[in-house]
Amino acid sequence: MSALSTHYLDLLKNVSDELTGKDFPWLGSLRQRSQESLLTSGLPSLRDEEWRYTNISAIEKNEFRLSPRNLTVDQSLLDEALLDHCHHLVFIDGYYRDELSSSQSLPEGVTVLPLSTVEKGEQERQFKSLINSSFDDESEHGFTHLNTALFTDGVLVCIPENTVVEKPIQLVYLASSNAPLGVSNYRNLILAKAGSKATIIESYYGSQDMCYLTNAVTEVVVETNANLSHTRLQVESNQAFHMGGVYSTLEKSAMFSQSNFTFGGLLSRAEIHADLGVESSCILDGLFVGQDKQHLDHHTRLNHKQPHAVSQELYKGVMADRSTGVFQGRIVVAEDAQKTDATMNNRNLLLSERANVDSKPQLEIYADDVKCAHGVTIGQLDETAIFYLRSRGADKKMAKNMLTFAFANEMVERINLEPLRHKVMDELLKQFPQTDILKEWL
Amino acid sequence: MLKIKNLHVKVEGKDILKGINLEVNAGEVHAIMGPNGSGKSTLSYILAGRAGYEITQGSISFHGKDLLEMSVEERAWAGVFLAFQYPVEVPGVSNIYMLKAALNGVRKYNGLDQLDAMDFINMVKGKMRDLDMDEKFLYRAVNEGFSGGEKKRNEILQMSVLEPSLCVLDETDSGLDIDALKIVSEGVNRLRDPSRSFILVTHYQRLLDYIKPDFVHVLAAGEIVKSGGPELALELEAKGYSWVEDSKES
Repeated sequence: MSALSTHYLDLLKNVSDELTGKDFPWLGSLRQRSQESLLTSGLPSLRDEEWRYTNISAIEKNEFRLSPRNLTVDQSLLDEALLDHCHHLVFIDGYYRDELSSSQSLPEGVTVLPLSTVEKGEQERQFKSLINSSFDDESEHGFTHLNTALFTDGVLVCIPENTVVEKPIQLVYLASSNAPLGVSNYRNLILAKAGSKATIIESYYGSQDMCYLTNAVTEVVVETNANLSHTRLQVESNQAFHMGGVYSTLEKSAMFSQSNFTFGGLLSRAEIHADLGVESSCILDGLFVGQDKQHLDHHTRLNHKQPHAVSQELYKGVMADRSTGVFQGRIVVAEDAQKTDATMNNRNLLLSERANVDSKPQLEIYADDVKCAHGVTIGQLDETAIFYLRSRGADKKMAKNMLTFAFANEMVERINLEPLRHKVMDELLKQFPQTDILKEWL
Repeated sequence: MLKIKNLHVKVEGKDILKGINLEVNAGEVHAIMGPNGSGKSTLSYILAGRAGYEITQGSISFHGKDLLEMSVEERAWAGVFLAFQYPVEVPGVSNIYMLKAALNGVRKYNGLDQLDAMDFINMVKGKMRDLDMDEKFLYRAVNEGFSGGEKKRNEILQMSVLEPSLCVLDETDSGLDIDALKIVSEGVNRLRDPSRSFILVTHYQRLLDYIKPDFVHVLAAGEIVKSGGPELALELEAKGYSWVEDSKES
C-alpha cells in the first residue's frame, strides 16, 4: 500500500456533483466510508501479496480525471463493440447514453437499468441490498474503494424468479477519443433470482492510442437454481489501464459460468471471485493474448464454502513480444465444504524470449473429503508441428500463427452464444494481422 | 530431377549417413529399404528440410536447384512432399484450412491465382472419395484423434491435393492393415505420372507388392550397400537384411 497522491485526493474531494445517486443518503455514507478506506489503504503496491506481479504505479502517476458528459463517440468503435441480437446498454466515458441503447422487449418484471436512473422505492432497495454485498474483507482494495467512492454509472439488473431472459444483455463501455486521461468508474449489480436464467456480456472498448483508466466492478448474486452466464470482453486501447472485477455469490444449486477475454490495455487486471453455496457449480474460462509491452493480470478466487459444489477453471495465456501475463488462481475449500470437486488449469504459450508469465495456483483445503486438481503449463510452440505445417507449404510465420491461433481458439470454441463467439474470434484474429486466417475455413 | 551426391550427415555428433549417392529421374519410383537404424528416416527428413541434422559433406540438387539452401516451405512450394511415418496432430487447425493454406502457398510460388473456394472444396471432396475418406474429416483438426490408417490416408490426400513432383513416403505402410494398405497404394498409383517421382522408404517388401518400384536400394548403416530392380526386394524378403549386411562386411 502506498499513500494516495494529491491528485487523487483532489479528485475525491471535488467530483461529488458528478456522481450518481446523490438523492440517496445511504449511498453518500457508503461512498464516504470507501473514500476513508481508500485514504487509509492507498492503491495497492507490489508489497501486497495479491499484487506482487502487477505494478500499478503508472496509474498513480497519471492524473486521471472524470470526463465531461455527452462526448461524441466514434461510430465505428460503437459498431465494432455491439453484438447482434442483444439488448444493449451503452456507456461512454463513464455515463449511460440512452440514445445509443436499446433494451425494449425485456420480459415482464425484468429490471435492466442504468444506476443513474434508479428511482426511489423498490429499485433503490435493490440497489442498496446488492452494492458491496459480494465483497469480503480480502477482496476489497484501493481500486474497489475508488470505485465505490466515485462510480458515475453502471447497471442494475434483476431477473425475477423463474424468469428466462432469452436475449443476451450486452453492456457496452466505450472510451471515446475525446476524453484523454479520463477515468470511468462503473458499478454493475446483477441479481438472478431463484430459478431464473440470463446471459450478460460486458464489452470494454476504447479508441486506439488513448490513455485512460477504466475501473469496473461487477457484483453478482445467483440465487437457488438460477443459471447465469457472464462474459467480459476487454478490448481497451493499447495505451489504456483497465481494472475490473466480478465478485459473485452462488446460492444453493446455482450455476454461474464466467468467461473472461482480455485482448486490450497496456495494463489490465481482472479479478473473478465466486463464493460457492451447496451444490452450486461454477465454470471460469479465460483467455488473454498479450503483445508489445502489455501486462495482463488475471486473478481468480473460488471460495468453496459449502459441500457438493463443483468448479471448473481453465485459463489460457498467449504472450508475445515483451508482454507479461499473470495468473493467480486461488481455491479455498472451507472445512464444511465436503465433496467439493474443483479443477483449475492454466496453460500458457510464450512466443518470444522476452515474454513472461507469472502463474501461481493456490489451493487451500480445510475439508478432508474433496477432489481438487490443478495444473499449470508454460511452454512454447511445438517444433514438430511447425515443421509439419511448413513441410505442407505454410511459411514459418504462418505456421506459428496457425498453431498459436489454434491454442487460443480452444477458449473461443467454448462460447455457446454464436454472435459472441464470432465477435471474440474476430478480436482474436486481429491479434494475427499478417496472417490470412479466414474464419470460414476454421 | 533429384541428385544426391556423397551425402554425409551427423546427428548429435554421430555419423548417420555416410556418403549417399542417388539419382532419381522424372517418373521413376525408387524404393529405399533397410533395417531399423539404417538412416532411412533421416534421409526422408533431410529431403524435407527438418532441422537438427548436420550435413558435413555432399549436395542435393532438385530440378537443378540446391535443395539444401531452401527453407522447408520453399521445398514444399517447389514440389517436395514428405508423407510422414508419424503424421503430426495439429489440434485446432482444421484439415480443410491446412489444405487450402498449403495449396495456395504452392500456387502462389508457381505464379498461379488462389483457387476459388467452391472449386477447391469440390476438388478436395473428389480426392477424398477416391481415398474412401468421409467428408467429415475435412472439418476435423489435422490428424487429431485419427486412427493410424486415417492419418496415412490423410497424408496421401494432402499429397494428391498438392500434386508435388517428388513424393517421399516414409514407412507409409507401417501400422496399416491390408485393406488400408490397398487404398493407400491405389492412391499413390493414381498419382504416378511421367513428370512425378517417388521415393518409397520402407522396412518391408509388402508395400512393393502394391506399388511397383523401378529401382530398389538397400540402405544399411548409413550407406547404400546394394541397388537393383524390383527383384532385389524379393531377394531381401527371402534372405533377410543380414544377407546384405553380411555381404557388405565380406
